[in-house]
Amino acid sequence: MGMDQAWLIPAIPAAAFAVLLIFGPYLPRKGDWLAIAAIGASFVLVFPILADLLDQADGTTYVAGEKAWEWISFDLAAAGETFNIEIGFYVDPITIVMLAVVTLVALMVQVYSIAYMKGDPRYGWYFTVMSLFAASMLLLVLSNNLLLLYAGWEAVGFCSFLLIGFWWEKRSAAEAAKKAFITTRIGDIGLLIGIIMLWLEGPNTFNIQEIIAFAEEGGYGDTYLTGAVLFMFMGALGKSGQFPLHVWLPDAMEGPTPVSALIHAATMVVAGVYLVARMLPLFEVADPIALDVVLVVGLTTVMISATMGLAATDIKRVIAYSTLNSLGLMFVALGSSAVAAAMLYLFVHGFFKALLFLSAGSVIHATEEQDMRRLGGLAAKMPITAAMFAIGTLAMIGIIPLSGFWAKDEVLIFAEEEQHIIVYLVLLSSLAITGLYMTRLFLRTFLFAPREQETYDHAHESGLLMTVPLLILGLLATVGGFVVFDEVGEALGFPGGFAQFVFLHRAHEFDFQFDTAITSSVLAGGGAIVGWILWQNKAELAASIRDRFAPVATLLSNRYYVDEIYQFAIDRIVLVLGSIIAWFDRVVVNDGGVNGAANIGYFAGFEAKFLQSGRLPNYALAIVGGILVLSIAMLVTQV
Amino acid sequence: MIPIDNFLVLSAILFSLGMYGVLARRNAVLILMSVELMLQAVVINFVAFAVYLNPETFTGIIFGIFVIVIAAAEVGLALAIILRLFRNRQISNVDEADLLKW
Repeated sequence: MGMDQAWLIPAIPAAAFAVLLIFGPYLPRKGDWLAIAAIGASFVLVFPILADLLDQADGTTYVAGEKAWEWISFDLAAAGETFNIEIGFYVDPITIVMLAVVTLVALMVQVYSIAYMKGDPRYGWYFTVMSLFAASMLLLVLSNNLLLLYAGWEAVGFCSFLLIGFWWEKRSAAEAAKKAFITTRIGDIGLLIGIIMLWLEGPNTFNIQEIIAFAEEGGYGDTYLTGAVLFMFMGALGKSGQFPLHVWLPDAMEGPTPVSALIHAATMVVAGVYLVARMLPLFEVADPIALDVVLVVGLTTVMISATMGLAATDIKRVIAYSTLNSLGLMFVALGSSAVAAAMLYLFVHGFFKALLFLSAGSVIHATEEQDMRRLGGLAAKMPITAAMFAIGTLAMIGIIPLSGFWAKDEVLIFAEEEQHIIVYLVLLSSLAITGLYMTRLFLRTFLFAPREQETYDHAHESGLLMTVPLLILGLLATVGGFVVFDEVGEALGFPGGFAQFVFLHRAHEFDFQFDTAITSSVLAGGGAIVGWILWQNKAELAASIRDRFAPVATLLSNRYYVDEIYQFAIDRIVLVLGSIIAWFDRVVVNDGGVNGAANIGYFAGFEAKFLQSGRLPNYALAIVGGILVLSIAMLVTQV
Repeated sequence: MIPIDNFLVLSAILFSLGMYGVLARRNAVLILMSVELMLQAVVINFVAFAVYLNPETFTGIIFGIFVIVIAAAEVGLALAIILRLFRNRQISNVDEADLLKW
């Protein structure tokens, strides 16, 4: 077993999907064990591949494993070239990080789902789609060429659509699924254009490494390459819910909570981060404006999502905003060319955000309520869930020594070194806001007096199938950040800390800066403490502040009216344009062209049928007349 | 040798007579007879041209025999139809049988 067998990782869940799709209803327990066994096998397979990668590495120089099969090949006669599409798999440290997060979180989520989805009428279908999702996500991560990556990219989007709309009988869920699909499609078009642009001027291949090598030799024009990477970034923008395409992610919370944990927190939404991290050499070769766009988009998302998180009342939506917040941070890191920081954040974020979602799911499962205005005091009833939620909250806020702290700190160090001071200050202020809204979420859900006695009485701690995944993720969210230390990395068999495993140009030692760490801790902790003061007991203080700044509160709870702006644009521009085109299609193309041609034939036939009188003399006369006409015509033309 | 014009004029006269009969007569049997006249005009043309243009071969003459055979078969068929028409509807005039139309 080694890197050459990496194709097995997506193939196993894909096979499970195929079996479940056909035989699922006839299997015992609707085949949930098969889906879990498949993803478990994929998870186990990551380790031999990682070991092989480390074996072949020389110090911190990693030899990427690549294996490809020809899929489609035909001659381009005009260009005198052969057009090849390969099914190829590529393993390098970035891939390994993604594989570890995806397989581990997927395994935890699927085990959790056994209890969470129990009794659902579409229980089997849920696990079928989960297997398809795992297969597509792993394909996306392992693909060595852009076309295969795009196929996985679209497949995860499709699974996301199916799972957001899993309870499609509920109108809001169906609408949210449609919104998510269409919004991400807008970005995907950009990704496709970017891929085509890279191929068109490039070395007649879709292979990512060959394209990067070609670009680094200056094969593409500067402006052209900048355009191409910005189009590709559009795809990342849509998938990772970055401003201005962030609107779908909060609505995606209509899906089952484990789906939110897996797809809309830990894996699919970070596909955009993965794509940019993978293609970062291109961004660097291109005009600096490309990286600036990544940075500004990330920074905008960080700020708007953090502030919107302050006003949301649905616990899942607050976590969704915190996801946007985290994704924004990753893009800020990428905008500073800090692949190690972005991937570290992605790694630990997968654990603590899945943990947050799954503990929120535990609350929703127990109380059937997800509005924090009707919750409260649940810590007494659900101690494990509350403790795990607290770990997730502290990791998200970035309290030392939880995993979120180390990852966030790496991002901050790069932002401080590489970027303008304003970027750094905005990031710091976002940390304080994160502290505020995450504390609010925790307090309103788990502490102080319950606001609805009936819901509170109904609550109970979830079973082992739900709490064990929570505990495992809680442990990882606590200790996951320690991989930044060289000693921890060496103890695990790596050459050093995280940044010596995942890096772009050169490995770097773990670099802890006390001033940054102290500043960020003070701000994040301060935010949390202020949050505690504001929202303790009956939250009178917070209510009075909200009343004093009523316009701001309205703006935030209406999510900056971005949805309304889109709705306006859709109603006034898209639908109006659409109705004009529809009119043209209906009246000119259909009535005039298609029906018109048919009507000509119909009327001509209708009029001409009366020539057929049924009387033999008429026909005889017609024959004679015809011959006479033909003869005269012949005579005339021959003269 | 009789000039070919004579044959052609005879054939044209016969054809025109036949055509007049087809157009002017109402009785189906008479129309059939007129059609026979037209066919014979064609046969005369075939034989005349065969003798004048290509006397070594019999192509045109054989063709004439074919036409006669086919005409006989056609008359047999047509008379059968006319007989059935008369049996079923007691008519023999073609303009009265006008149901086969749109």
